[in-house]
Amino acid sequence: MGENIFTGIAAGLRTYLAGAGVPPLASEFIVMVVKLLAVIIFVSLNVVWLVYMERKVAAYIQCRIGPNRVGPKGLLQTVADVVKLLAKEIIIPRRVDKIVYLAAPVLVFVPPMMAFAVIPWGEGMAPIDLNIGVFYVLAVASLSTIIFWMGGWSSNNKYSLVGGMRVVAQMVSYELPLVLSLLGVIMLTGTLSITEIVNAQRGTWFIFAQPLAFLIYFIAGVSEVNRTPFDLVEGESEIIAGPYTEYSGMGYAMYMLAEYGSMMVISCMCTIMFLGGWLAPFGWTFLPSWFWFFIKVYAMIFIFMWIRWTYPRIRVDQLMGFGWKVLVPLSLANIFVTGVGMYIYRAIGW
Amino acid sequence: MFGQGLLKGLAITWKELFTRKVTVQYPEEKVPLPERYHGRFELDVDKCIACGLCANACPNKVIQITKEKVGKKQYLTKYVMRIEYCLFCGLCVESCNKDALKFSHVINMNQFFRDKVRLVLVDRPAPEALPEEEPAEAAAERPAGARAKTAKAEVAAGKAPGEEG
Repeated sequence: MGENIFTGIAAGLRTYLAGAGVPPLASEFIVMVVKLLAVIIFVSLNVVWLVYMERKVAAYIQCRIGPNRVGPKGLLQTVADVVKLLAKEIIIPRRVDKIVYLAAPVLVFVPPMMAFAVIPWGEGMAPIDLNIGVFYVLAVASLSTIIFWMGGWSSNNKYSLVGGMRVVAQMVSYELPLVLSLLGVIMLTGTLSITEIVNAQRGTWFIFAQPLAFLIYFIAGVSEVNRTPFDLVEGESEIIAGPYTEYSGMGYAMYMLAEYGSMMVISCMCTIMFLGGWLAPFGWTFLPSWFWFFIKVYAMIFIFMWIRWTYPRIRVDQLMGFGWKVLVPLSLANIFVTGVGMYIYRAIGW
Repeated sequence: MFGQGLLKGLAITWKELFTRKVTVQYPEEKVPLPERYHGRFELDVDKCIACGLCANACPNKVIQITKEKVGKKQYLTKYVMRIEYCLFCGLCVESCNKDALKFSHVINMNQFFRDKVRLVLVDRPAPEALPEEEPAEAAAERPAGARAKTAKAEVAAGKAPGEEG
């Protein structure tokens, strides 16, 4: 029921274009553009919704009601905020490096958006089914470090500079356990293709086969998107807003919205690698596969938010110590144990 | 066990997600005001004898009373409170011997213009003679309700002008 809505639309579009006499290459191009546009619009809408959800979750955890005035149940709150921010002036301080300063908030949305190109939103619903999908996502996601650094450096402000340096230090050091934790799953499946990894989880989800890897991935993921308890980048009490200090209006909003975009990437990857992607649990296939994917991603996002409003921010030395002294050795140990386990399984002929 | 505290914290926030929310949605819901709430002032002109005790009690000289002598009695013609200086201490209400000055539960006293802030409780001309000074028979002869009517009109004049509130 509803399983083939989106694949059906794509197939229908292809047949229509073929019937209209469009050459196959052009029709394939048009279908691809439509797919990517759909993904971009879907992700943008999600980001707008996530800001609202974040505020609601925060409010509920703090015994408040949260936004409820703009639109029904406050649903248009983010829209109103964005419209307000669009109307505001983007102040450019005299001493900033203008081009880099203005390019950073524009580019900050690019890495998460690029990563979404290979995410399978449902069975056979990956816009581009790359055979090195995991590698591509990791490579693209790590690009955002540079963009935060661009913002921090070009602002010519000591808070921005310190914040930018923190972003680079944090994201580079947590990139390592993030990638190493995914390595366990890749060893089990023997492939980098996202579709094949999801299909390999038909029996058991990898969260059960690789619980430690899941935990490491999750912690590193929280750190990677700079959210509490790892949001030292924008530790207000120390460095105002970190690399975003000098930004105003929509420039600032872009950074904030991109944070939700990256959070979605991390949640999607978590769903794909550990929670069985679009596969329905317990064979509950009465809901379409894309809907299961959506539920799992949102469950992950909710946990992100839940954690954000529970834990205080940790210190910068604790952050580095935890990353290098705990997470990296643990993820290496996980790879070792996985390798040994695989060898034993193969030896006893399972 | 390591991480026990983290789980405990998560459990607490999870519980808080479902607890009753303490927010009071103000214009729709209101917290009931206590009986003795210090809100807008109300003056019962019929009870007021224009003694001026309230004006004397006021630490900020908020109350300005104008009175005229009508017959043998003092007649209150104007009772103005410069409410912008009022600290709502309630000394005036306490000092009133006749229970004429009281606090009401009206809390929205904000105004767009400063000159509208001033609270005019009574503003009326003094009559030639007080109705109480008429002979008892004459008072009885007057149509019933007429006195009540005039009194009501005076109170209405003493209430806030239409643009206030």
